[in-house]
Amino acid sequence: MNRILAIVMIALTAVLIAAGTAPSKSKERTSSPEGAVQAFYDRVKADDYRGAYELIAPSSNVDFSTMYHDIAGRDGSLKTLSQLRDAEPRLLAHNGNEALVRASLMWATAVGDLHESRDLKLVSSDNGSWQILWPKHHEPNLPPQVISENYLRWDVIHSDSEDNEWGAQNAESPHVRITSMNAVEREGKVIILGELVNEDTVPGYVDIQGILLGKDGEQLGEETSFDKISHVLLPKEITPFRIDFDGVHINQVKKVTLNPTSVLVPASADPVIGVLHQQLEKTDTGHTVLKGELMNQSGQLVNIPQVLATYYDNSGHVIWISDGYVDQALRPQVPVPFAVSVNDDIAPNVHSYRVVVNHFSMDRPSA
Amino acid sequence: MFYSSSTFPASTKRIPIFGWLLLLALAVHAPLLLFQLPAGSFDGNTHMFFADHYAHHWFNPWNEKWFAGFSQTSYPPLIHQLIALFSHIVGLTMAYTIVQALVILLLPIGVYRYARLWVNERASLYAAIGSIFLGSLVMMVYQAGQINTTFASVMLLNSLPFFYLWIREGRMLAFWKGLAIFLVGCAGHHVSMIFGTPFFAIPVICLAFIDHRDDRADATMRQVATRTIIFSVLAIIGVLVVLAPYWVQLYHNPIKQAPIYHESRANYILEPVQGMNYFIIPTAALILAIPFIFWRGATDKRLRPLFIGWWFVAMIGLGGTTPLPKLVFGTRIWEVLTYERFTYWATLMALPFAGLIAEWLIDRFRGKAVAGLALAAVLSGSGALAWLHAHPIQSSPFSIDDVVSFLNRDDHARYRYITLGFGMQLARVSVLANASSVDGDYNAGRLLPELMAGGSAQLTNAKYFHHGMEALRSMLQHADHYGLKYIFVRDPYYEPLLAFAGWRQAEVYDNGNVTLWSKDDVPPAHRITPPPGAVPTPLEGLLWGTLPMCTVVFALTLLIAFPERRRLAETIDFPATTDAPEEDAVVLREAK
Repeated sequence: MNRILAIVMIALTAVLIAAGTAPSKSKERTSSPEGAVQAFYDRVKADDYRGAYELIAPSSNVDFSTMYHDIAGRDGSLKTLSQLRDAEPRLLAHNGNEALVRASLMWATAVGDLHESRDLKLVSSDNGSWQILWPKHHEPNLPPQVISENYLRWDVIHSDSEDNEWGAQNAESPHVRITSMNAVEREGKVIILGELVNEDTVPGYVDIQGILLGKDGEQLGEETSFDKISHVLLPKEITPFRIDFDGVHINQVKKVTLNPTSVLVPASADPVIGVLHQQLEKTDTGHTVLKGELMNQSGQLVNIPQVLATYYDNSGHVIWISDGYVDQALRPQVPVPFAVSVNDDIAPNVHSYRVVVNHFSMDRPSA
Repeated sequence: MFYSSSTFPASTKRIPIFGWLLLLALAVHAPLLLFQLPAGSFDGNTHMFFADHYAHHWFNPWNEKWFAGFSQTSYPPLIHQLIALFSHIVGLTMAYTIVQALVILLLPIGVYRYARLWVNERASLYAAIGSIFLGSLVMMVYQAGQINTTFASVMLLNSLPFFYLWIREGRMLAFWKGLAIFLVGCAGHHVSMIFGTPFFAIPVICLAFIDHRDDRADATMRQVATRTIIFSVLAIIGVLVVLAPYWVQLYHNPIKQAPIYHESRANYILEPVQGMNYFIIPTAALILAIPFIFWRGATDKRLRPLFIGWWFVAMIGLGGTTPLPKLVFGTRIWEVLTYERFTYWATLMALPFAGLIAEWLIDRFRGKAVAGLALAAVLSGSGALAWLHAHPIQSSPFSIDDVVSFLNRDDHARYRYITLGFGMQLARVSVLANASSVDGDYNAGRLLPELMAGGSAQLTNAKYFHHGMEALRSMLQHADHYGLKYIFVRDPYYEPLLAFAGWRQAEVYDNGNVTLWSKDDVPPAHRITPPPGAVPTPLEGLLWGTLPMCTVVFALTLLIAFPERRRLAETIDFPATTDAPEEDAVVLREAK
């Protein structure tokens, strides 16, 4: 009896450990195209890039380093500061030994969540498992060259007086003005859209605080433009801005108060980032996106670009602002594609649009 | 073979056993404590932060330095109040070290007394010696900084022998002593007492039921059961009274935040590094005793309750390796608890068994066994220290002096601040700086909606949590509302978000290790209105400042005024062959 108890307890321990361990090891199913893609991204999620590379078809002619940088990014881009959170494969086409799978990827990045959709071709191998035909990107290899820079730059000299409060400039703030403003309700929230211009001859740091007041004068919300604005404006430069108020309906709002602030800051006009081939397109799912290319026309690397797109109607009013971070770094003179979504109900009313690009460079973090 | 009840050598007459145990514990841990290793543990600075508040505001548990205001009644105060008391004499860090030292010194005494319920005096002594070298103790004290859990566990171990005497023999003095020490433990860490007591106490109750039939019948089954119920009811009432402000704040602000990931919930087989950290290193040489525990625990009727209790707590200590914790506690509690403390308890409960093995080995192999056991014990403790050295909880030290200096000068404390990438140094900054932060290193105290929505812990470690960056983004979006102007960054990972959100790098400290980012248009911080009932009333503050300390005074008064009379038995050879002086000679007569 006594020995039986010991045996029972040992057996119970083994069963519990097995029960806790066995379900965790989900079996990879590479016998289907979706399973192969899922297995591939599961390994990426676990930082097992070598394991992921094993699921690449040899006929891809892609070395490990290329695949790794295609997924994990390079040049300090947003992808290098990202972690794959979720991958959802969906079969688009299946034709004998070939298949096309769309992977909807969710990345947690240094600036927030980033959604990516990637179409992957797969081929069936001799043993019945599926392998991914990894696309081979042609990286433009620019010849050595000298790029002359003649950009404008503004520096600010602060007073050395000890009487000054830390950070206080004791200088007149740049004159800024809101040139347009529009309030819309979308996705269960009130969104304030508009544009702000720096009318001064010096650069300024700008921000906009919005306050919504209700019918009885009560405050419904207080938000700022956060990252949906260009915070540093050169003289005469215009920035779109967008302020989102969650959980508020527009019929509750009686008054909108916008408080723009501006502070004199040092700034430079570099890097110059050109926006090329921009146009509205329909995706195969029927949604509208604004696509184009970004070209870094300067000689220094831009690690993380952000696109801010402003859409106007026939009468030139701002009807929508969308934004998106680009997960590739902008190398000098190398075009990089971008796409930002446009609400489907707004797209038919878009008459024109304007794209501005914010940027972050690691060697000049405050630029 | 093994003996469950025998007697202890007479040599202990000169220096009490407890004296030897204290000296040994001091010899082993004093150097580590004097190096102030516990102060560099995960939670060490957080406990000092709490203590620092009590040192300055003993009767006001509302602390505005974290989360724009939170109530310290959400955490039992006794340990922090003791540190606060000592801090007025020796400073905060040394005060923390002293209180941790007291806990370590009381541990072998508690283990000895608890083990004595189960095994003979000699095995209990070996168990107590073993407790000084436990890998789990090293991990709890020098890595996790779980001063409250170690304190509560020690109180539980010291309370249960009195509890046993009460339910077994109905001694009133034992009842009051047991209850007083139990309440001291609850005032130190009620969670440890709530979750630890069943594993330690139920075997003791079972033992009382077993023992009541042996020796002389001290009590009937009904009496044992009745006394158990009386003690339990009064202990519950005592906890409700002593920690009344805690229950009030829990009623007003029940824990609603999303579960936060903790490594101790991992499957230790699938994640071997966690298995090393949370099972192999803490259990150390006791792993070798596991087969014996199964065999002896199952075959010895008197040890069976202890074996079952040990098995349960050890299995729960395996975290996500088995589904048992989730089955026992339910999903919600499973996701809130951390499991390193269960492994610690499992090692404590294994010690009586280890004492029996040691006794048997020493009887059989003498000096060789002593050497081997000593080596195993030392390797257990030093192995854990070596593991901590090889896997430091903070990989690259950095200076926070400039950060503190900036916050404490020129009215910068008018604004709030956060740190990013500071890890456990966040709490150290908070101790030294006068400014308030919207972040904090204490998840249960958070009331701000931006922090509670996702399953992330501190903003300073945002990138390590699933929804951490969302929480940080949400907080930055409301920077104006909170007066959040200054952000100290030690990890460049966070810089892009700050730059796009409008913060600008303003200063560089510690040779570029830390940068200060500031947002120009943020207004000075104002008081954030907390949810109803969140701020303790003056009466609650008064109770919080007095009742927990009263438990200590009550317990010490009982223990000092009514000292325990130990039953010292000694083995006497028969027929007597003693060379002792005549006055000490034992007179033996053969029964006719």
